[in-house]
Amino acid sequence: MRILQQLVLGLLLGGLYGLAAAGLSLIFGVLKVLNVAHGELIMLGGYAAFWLSAIVGLDPFVALAGVIPLTAVLGLVLYGGLFGFVVRFDEETRIKNSLLVGFGLSLTLHALAVKLWTADERSIPTGYAGQTIGVGGLVLPLGRLASLAVALALIGLTHLFLARARWGQAIRATAEDWEAALLQGIDVRRAYLLAFALGTALAGAAGCLVAVGYSISPAIGLEWTFKALIVVVLAGLGSLFGTFVGGLVLGVAEAASALTFGGPYREVVGLLIFFCVLIARPQGLFGRP
Amino acid sequence: MTGPRRLDLRATAATLVGLAALGAVPLVVRRDDVLNLGVVFFLAIALAQSWNVIAGLAGQVNLGHAAFFGLGALVTRSLWIAGAPVLLAMAAGAAVATVAGVALGLVAFRLRGAYFAIGTLALSEILRVSVGNVLAEISTLPAAAIAGYRLGPRYYGALALALGSVLVVAGLIRSRLGLGMEAVREDEAAAEASGVGAFGVKLRAVVVSTCLAGLTGGLFAYYHISYYPQHPFSPIWTFDAVLVTFIGGVGTVHGPVLGAAFYVLFKEYLAVQWVDAHLLIFGALFVLIVLLLPGGLVEAGQRIARRLAGVLVSRPAPGVR
Amino acid sequence: MLEVDALDVAYGELRALSGVSVRVDGGEVVALVGSNGAGKTTLLRAVAGLVRPRAGRVRWDGAELAGVPPHRVVERGIAMVPEGRRLFGRMTVEENLRLGAFTRRALAERESSLESVFATFPRLRERRRQLAGSLSGGEQQMVAIGRALMSRPRLLMLDEPSLGLAPRIVEAIFGVFTEINRRGVAVFLVEQNVRAALVLAHRAYLIEHGRIVGEGSGTTLLADPQVRQAYLGPLAVAR
Repeated sequence: MRILQQLVLGLLLGGLYGLAAAGLSLIFGVLKVLNVAHGELIMLGGYAAFWLSAIVGLDPFVALAGVIPLTAVLGLVLYGGLFGFVVRFDEETRIKNSLLVGFGLSLTLHALAVKLWTADERSIPTGYAGQTIGVGGLVLPLGRLASLAVALALIGLTHLFLARARWGQAIRATAEDWEAALLQGIDVRRAYLLAFALGTALAGAAGCLVAVGYSISPAIGLEWTFKALIVVVLAGLGSLFGTFVGGLVLGVAEAASALTFGGPYREVVGLLIFFCVLIARPQGLFGRP
Repeated sequence: MTGPRRLDLRATAATLVGLAALGAVPLVVRRDDVLNLGVVFFLAIALAQSWNVIAGLAGQVNLGHAAFFGLGALVTRSLWIAGAPVLLAMAAGAAVATVAGVALGLVAFRLRGAYFAIGTLALSEILRVSVGNVLAEISTLPAAAIAGYRLGPRYYGALALALGSVLVVAGLIRSRLGLGMEAVREDEAAAEASGVGAFGVKLRAVVVSTCLAGLTGGLFAYYHISYYPQHPFSPIWTFDAVLVTFIGGVGTVHGPVLGAAFYVLFKEYLAVQWVDAHLLIFGALFVLIVLLLPGGLVEAGQRIARRLAGVLVSRPAPGVR
Repeated sequence: MLEVDALDVAYGELRALSGVSVRVDGGEVVALVGSNGAGKTTLLRAVAGLVRPRAGRVRWDGAELAGVPPHRVVERGIAMVPEGRRLFGRMTVEENLRLGAFTRRALAERESSLESVFATFPRLRERRRQLAGSLSGGEQQMVAIGRALMSRPRLLMLDEPSLGLAPRIVEAIFGVFTEINRRGVAVFLVEQNVRAALVLAHRAYLIEHGRIVGEGSGTTLLADPQVRQAYLGPLAVAR
């Protein structure tokens, strides 16, 4: 029963991994840009939620409605000021440059966060998050359960947008073949901008949920970038729900690894999976095996 | 990333002479803080040059470089504290790092471009976490070693390493291997098609790169009195190497030296004013350079020189219309 | 309507087009024929805005078109069916078609355009929910043409529509071009299948090594002995 408990907790965390990965997957799939500062965006989203909650007194789940637009705007700024230039290169150079740029951006944002808010861990206290509900012998924290539901809902909404909305379909078309998209009258640069802002907003939302159920600090950036990367590589690009499931799988795998090898090696299993999947698909995420 | 097709002999010679001249500093200046700055400077050069070999010359962006730096430090520290002579310990550290480099190459070289980069980053993180778990306690020199600690040998050791790394890079650019590395860097498929054994070239590049990185790690272990064993495995060191190389001019001989000078001096100055701001500024600077001036300071210098030459040439002689 | 004047296009050092001048008037079907690598695709891409000319002018309805970004070229009424179709394979036939009507102007009439496309290509109505990537070559070509028509163009440009298709299908598709043209859409057709193109076209241009080397009505060129020898001889028929 204790084992099951740990696995289920891993599942709950995995939902957030899925949300984090969804944003990265969207950006990578559409722009062919690998933003390795994605974790820092999650971190910033967490801080936005924290401060909205601490200063304005908003319940974090309500703060989500503020965090999402805020991080979306941040995405617009980052695209306009930075990644918009990276997309001018051809695909291979683009990925390489975005990696380097993202690397630099991530350390910069990390340093900025430490400067502004110190390296201390923060968490958003709520009255109900500590409460648990019992489900068949398992004890589930309410806050984390709600986070999972919210994560799934956000993914569902994004999926709907991509499937039905005019610009959602434009984004999908751009992801598949940007020249052909141009030929249909789609302003590909705007599609890129939208996708980037959307991906960033999803990261911000993930950060907000992390701040509620867990804790945030400037250092979580790199860690979450890896989580997102691992899930993206595991699930491949293409389906947002597939990415979500990939996140769940990672969460459970980590829990299993912690049970087997001990807590400190929790991180390692994900990285190992990541590396092995990469090796198994050397053509990368876009090629045919 | 592009690099020069020939070795800039003048710049290389100037760099070597300049560095060698710094050997006179301890004879003139007795201040420890200056000597410490020197060691940090030389270490930065060596680490950057080691990354320059694999990324600037051979075109393989290795984001897990800290792993080899860390391994060199780990092995050197362990053997030296256990009583081995430090040079032997450093050699062993370099050897272990090189073996790890070869292992990496055998496994990861099928990955191209960005996937190689993030794959190596993942590996180095795995190593860092594992080391941090196994050796969680801080590593401090025994009291006797602290009592007998002299900056002089560290200074000259680091200087020798920096000089050596510059010579290695210069020699590589001139060599046949260097030509092969350039071919692989520009277009691996084309190089393979024209008979350059890309895998062999990359493997040899990684051997040189990780050996140098391991030696640098060994010197780090020799220099620092106490540190956490997982610290040299941190991606911060990779970023330092990447940053310095890019700022100076990736793929050139003197670029990393220029970049290191810039980086270390700036960091010193900023550290006095704001503690962590240097990361902020360097991060921003790095991004700008990657996007706008990929040739770094070397390219900037060349452009300015050309602009000046153009101005001087095109100015008409007085009295002539 | 479309005037290309002394166009020069280069890819780096490689000269793709030199001093090319062509014209397509309203209601015409104009063909551009030549062998592989002659520069036909480059010309279409230059008009569509995918490639910037080094010199020369492209005018549409009297206004300068060179330098206009591709998505705006579509807004102005020029649609292109690129070589190899370039469908969005992971989207359905219907989604592909609807995306063709992305511009505001076309969006307003999307439903009637869709009906019209299904009327022209009844097979697509049957397959509307199928993934575009799973269709046969001929069906994909129909989707590509339909998708371009959805943008309500006044000029339809096609790059090698017959490529990889069986002769029977080519005939059917070329028949559709005639019908489209009768409805008032000008057609600018680039083809390696010289015979089919010349039969269809009102006027045609011959292009070799990036230069226009001949011009005339479709029938005149078909009858021209030099043309016959160069393009229509037993060895010169493409695929």
